[in-house]
Amino acid sequence: MVKLSIIAPLVYIAVLVGTLAVFSSLYRKRKANKAASLEPWFGPHYPRDIYLTLLHQENPKVPDNILKAALVRRATEDIRRVVTIRQAKGSLQQLLQKGSIGDDLWTRFTVAEAEIEEELKDVAMEANGFSSEWAASIFQSANEIVQATRVRERAAEVAEQAATERAWWNEKRERASRELLGENNSDEDGVLVESSGSRGAARPGAATRGKGKSAS
Amino acid sequence: MAQSSDVFVVVPIEMDPSTKAIQALSSSNDPLLTRELEALNNLHQNLKSAPGITNGIPPPPTSVGPKLSTQIERMRQTGNNAFRKQNYAEAVDLYTLAISMALRRPPWEPSALLREELQQLYANRAQAHISINNWPEALADVNASIDFKRVGNPKAHWRKGRCLKEMGRYEEAKEALEFGLEFGNDPELANMLKEVNEALSKRKL
Repeated sequence: MVKLSIIAPLVYIAVLVGTLAVFSSLYRKRKANKAASLEPWFGPHYPRDIYLTLLHQENPKVPDNILKAALVRRATEDIRRVVTIRQAKGSLQQLLQKGSIGDDLWTRFTVAEAEIEEELKDVAMEANGFSSEWAASIFQSANEIVQATRVRERAAEVAEQAATERAWWNEKRERASRELLGENNSDEDGVLVESSGSRGAARPGAATRGKGKSAS
Repeated sequence: MAQSSDVFVVVPIEMDPSTKAIQALSSSNDPLLTRELEALNNLHQNLKSAPGITNGIPPPPTSVGPKLSTQIERMRQTGNNAFRKQNYAEAVDLYTLAISMALRRPPWEPSALLREELQQLYANRAQAHISINNWPEALADVNASIDFKRVGNPKAHWRKGRCLKEMGRYEEAKEALEFGLEFGNDPELANMLKEVNEALSKRKL
């Protein structure tokens, strides 16, 4: 009788703790699985993969200069991601407070944020591995590269835009001159004088108007 | 899948031993990878051919190669001279040359400088185009100039208004001029707006 009364509470406690432990571990595993199965915020990070692949290539070994260029490319992509994260953060927080977005999206976002921080540290470390002061400037350089790329993309659009505008304008002028010619033709029926003289005037002459501001 | 910081995906690439170019293995046909590799090889070539870089590391964006800046500036001045002599087509060519020179700047140099040079060159080229009645080309140039510099660029806003007005697009001209006036009052902009408004009301009659 005495023995039983001691074993009973012990068994009770053991069962209780065991259940809790099993439940907690299952719960955590499921949560981790869920977080891992969430879609990443960004797509694959090609420059990072390329850099690390090159770094680990043995036969033949990749020269340092290419690795450095690959690291700059990696930092450039990182800068793009950091900017995206920073821009999105404020509005996402607001949306989360209002309940407009689910926890899943927020988890994905915080995971991405933590990842990019790790990534930045990693790049800085790699840069210092090449040259002791490079970590201070690699992200500045990368930022300029991002900006300059944008400027170049805009500059590339100019010729395209000029071509479309030119096509539109030519078409419009042709239409206008056709209408003009049509009128001229009907004029010819009535009056047979000097109708050919006005045909050349469809294109505005090369004469400049006085109003243009001077170049600076 | 969340990417851990010590894991990476091995991408199918190799180095061409003679040209030192990185290329994708023929088995992969991922356009994104190919594009990234192209950018990498370009950057590598850029770094290799840039004067003053010996260790393959881009210098911090505080210094600029002075040679290219003077070349661009000189080309711009030549363009301005041609413009003053009313050789407008020649001025267009010279500005075009200066623009392509500016675009050849190494990408790690201060982008603000590139932006400033380009906005000026495009605005000037637009003026040359305007002088020979090339409205569409002038419009495209001036749009770029405004995109690069909105504030303190009344000439570009004025030229945009002018181009649109000359092409008979009064509504757009009005919008452009009003937009330009948001960045500070300018009597010539206001004048042009008045003209455009008159043309608009005449058309409605």
